[in-house]
Amino acid sequence: MNREDYRNAFDELSFSADFEARTADLLRNRARELEKERTNMTIRKTKKIAVLIAACIALLAVSVSAAMLWLSPAQVAEEYDQPLLAEAFKGPGAISINETVESGDFSITLLGLVSGRDLDVLNPDLEMDHTYSVLALRRLDGTPLENETFDFGSYTMTPLVAGCSPVAVNNWTLDAFAQGFAKDGVYYYLLDTASIEMFADRTVYMAFYEGFAPNNNIFTVAGDGSISFAADFTGVHALFTLPLDPAKADRAAADAFVASTGMDGWTNERSEPEGEWDVERHETEDSEEIFLRPRAKDGGEEEIPSPETSGGEPEAGQEGNGQAGSDEPGGFQADTGNGKVILNGLKPAEDITVIENDFTTTGDSGGVVSE
Amino acid sequence: MVPFGTDETIRRIVSAYSGMLLRLACTRLDSTADAEDAVQEAFLRLLTARPVFRDPEHEKAWLIRTTLQRASDIRRRAEQRNIPLEDITEPMAPESPGEELRSAVQALPEKYGAVIHLHYYEGYSIKEIAKLLGLPAATVGTRLARGRERLRQMLKEDVV
Repeated sequence: MNREDYRNAFDELSFSADFEARTADLLRNRARELEKERTNMTIRKTKKIAVLIAACIALLAVSVSAAMLWLSPAQVAEEYDQPLLAEAFKGPGAISINETVESGDFSITLLGLVSGRDLDVLNPDLEMDHTYSVLALRRLDGTPLENETFDFGSYTMTPLVAGCSPVAVNNWTLDAFAQGFAKDGVYYYLLDTASIEMFADRTVYMAFYEGFAPNNNIFTVAGDGSISFAADFTGVHALFTLPLDPAKADRAAADAFVASTGMDGWTNERSEPEGEWDVERHETEDSEEIFLRPRAKDGGEEEIPSPETSGGEPEAGQEGNGQAGSDEPGGFQADTGNGKVILNGLKPAEDITVIENDFTTTGDSGGVVSE
Repeated sequence: MVPFGTDETIRRIVSAYSGMLLRLACTRLDSTADAEDAVQEAFLRLLTARPVFRDPEHEKAWLIRTTLQRASDIRRRAEQRNIPLEDITEPMAPESPGEELRSAVQALPEKYGAVIHLHYYEGYSIKEIAKLLGLPAATVGTRLARGRERLRQMLKEDVV
């Protein structure tokens, strides 16, 4: 099979001739309905606000509190047209948190969370429970956060669990879906993950930070398994401890989940590959290959075998992976950032790496990616 | 970017992405009708979730991920339906090499199928797929290599 065979196979598929017209009509109708609902909601809200203002003026002759007003988690769910989720956030199973941490230019408030099944009307999932968490972010200097300018992708909101490697239990392994929007200068995150209640007999955290997948440049794990931000992590960050009900824990399911990720390793020790490895960079047609070559102890270079002699691609379970964000089994993987090879979590074995088709690893050695 | 919901943006997005998303959904679904449902659900989610995109690439990435999610949901729902024993028949032999190839792709673990399709059909590089799927490039590389190997085993031919 080559690319042409592949394209031909999928070009053979025939879809409804009117699919685009039908879909556009469906969307236009739905857009009109939504607009009508929003207009009605705004009118209702305006009336409510007018009544509230009148009541406040009548009752309060004292100084006005500087309390910050947020949307509630239920209102955030309503913004996403999720009535079942909104109801769940108002129900007895919801956990209200309302804790605020100030970090960098931001005030970060974890508003609350709720767990349950079939709460997302747009994404019915018959198989498993989910946890929905809501967080609010605002600038300390009062500058409003706006959809157009806030860089949603620069921040990560993820659950973590004490006693479990941050690379094993996080957004990526929990199959998260994060959404966000700005309203009245506040930015709201709605995070949907697989349910975290199974971990409830341990300390469960909700982390919010500037950065991507958890690694040991961001987090430190203490001897007792507790997790904190690395002392030298300078990005915006907040770590909340979640008051989950331990009675809802399922230790067997939690252990099975961690085992299924194949990523239960962790070290706080950071590797500095440039000190021990020689790095070679080669331009290719559409990318750049980076070779990590273990430096021989006598100062010479060790031989890099060809893909053929090294057995080509690693078999499942052989390849290492220590980076969160990947669900491949194994022990170690490398990533790059600004040209520097960053080894996350686990140290590379003294082994060899071969590049092929932008990326290849051999055995349980280090991994290399092209930038 | 202009918010989704106006006639103009609906027309633009449906026209620009339908073909690509329908074929992508078919990596997880063997029925084109189901693929059409998955893509419509993804577009509807765009309408109701109202995400704001930095640029067209961000918009495309969101649609790709949401379509894959919807396709997985539809597939799971179908698998959970009880099938009466009398309805179970021997799977029919594929009628064409194209059908055999599509069946092989659908039989891949989902995480491999999407990467294989984006690379072989859409022609994206590993780095581009990593951005679209929000995965480390290394993971995409591994999935591509393993998906290719599984296809090679299933099709009993070289995959280049």
